[in-house]
Amino acid sequence: MSNNASLGTLLKNGIFGENPVFRLALSLCPAVAVTSGVKNGFLMGVAVLFVMTMTNVTVSLLRNFINPKVRIPSYVFITATWVTVIDQVMSAYQRAVYKEMGLYIMLIVAFAIILSRAEMFASKNTLLPSFVDGVGMGLGFLLSLMLLGVFREFLGKGSFWGTQVLPAKPLLIMIMPTGGFFAMGLMMGWLNWIDRKFFGGAGASSGGH
Amino acid sequence: MKDILKITLPLVAIFIVAGIIMSVTYQHTYPVRFQAEKKEKEEALKEMAPDATDPIKPAGIWSADNKSYEYYQATASGNSVAYIAETAGKGYSSFIKMLVSLNPDMKIRDVKILDMNETPGLGDQVLEKSFLDQFKGKSLSQIILTKSETKENIQAVSGATYSSRGVINGVKDAVQLLVDKYGAGIKTAVQGVAK
Repeated sequence: MSNNASLGTLLKNGIFGENPVFRLALSLCPAVAVTSGVKNGFLMGVAVLFVMTMTNVTVSLLRNFINPKVRIPSYVFITATWVTVIDQVMSAYQRAVYKEMGLYIMLIVAFAIILSRAEMFASKNTLLPSFVDGVGMGLGFLLSLMLLGVFREFLGKGSFWGTQVLPAKPLLIMIMPTGGFFAMGLMMGWLNWIDRKFFGGAGASSGGH
Repeated sequence: MKDILKITLPLVAIFIVAGIIMSVTYQHTYPVRFQAEKKEKEEALKEMAPDATDPIKPAGIWSADNKSYEYYQATASGNSVAYIAETAGKGYSSFIKMLVSLNPDMKIRDVKILDMNETPGLGDQVLEKSFLDQFKGKSLSQIILTKSETKENIQAVSGATYSSRGVINGVKDAVQLLVDKYGAGIKTAVQGVAK
């Protein structure tokens, strides 16, 4: 597959070309659920970035050891192990951060994007590209969540990262789950439009959950 | 048979190694976490009654909604300066865990939310100072939730009625308990209005 691609291209691929949220349309439920504020989106993104990189590296190292017939349970178990380790270490040594992020970390086990990168990429590539792919995809996810967060928090609460910038709440519905779907659809359409208009791309066509 | 082993053994090996990694992590982090949690609780209690000079020790255990909570008596050189109770109320999507402290005259001194899992952006607005500060100086009979602006009662956060109700219910239970336990002198007066 992308064995020959340069690492920089791989990194960029995760952020733009195959952006997990707006392009691959994977892990949309957490993307809708936590992006009612920029801060939530950021924390969730960081947690995913960690777990994604760790899982990709582990799967890549064990790719010849894992039997293809039972690969899915193996990947899920590897993800779950990393999630548990990060949760335990953080709750002991980083209490302040854990209080903010603890809620999100445990949810990551079931994220489609992590499983799909293990299956599509890490299981077929060596250590370094898998690591870079994990970082790239993680960053792509992080930036998408922040973009959605900025948009929704500004319209829904008139604030940025908890600081009030508008005197009123222009559109309260934007921070409700309903608003999450609106924001997601608008953003995806807008990015597709930019891609078609200026870069001659085809836009996103697939769908996940 | 051989195929089954070929498939199963690596999977079992992964499970065992992962299990070992997780249990070792747990063993190493558990004591640190336990200490940190204990310290956090002590600090939270201290914050509820900064003028208490003696260490705040549990005075007893009470229960609400089938869960048990502790309550405390804060003293400064032997005299009571505050009564504190752990409590919780059911919000929209979680139990909102709180600490409530009362002055010796059975009026609310402070309310602090310890733990909750309400909707980000909506329910979590009950954490805001402007909502929690409304409780200060209120007595049991005044803890009533309203949707309009009020000085006498408590105004719900707009868009977070269920979460506000959870906080109110938890606070009410705690105040009722502390009044029952410690408010002997002014108990009749307070309860007369509450009914």
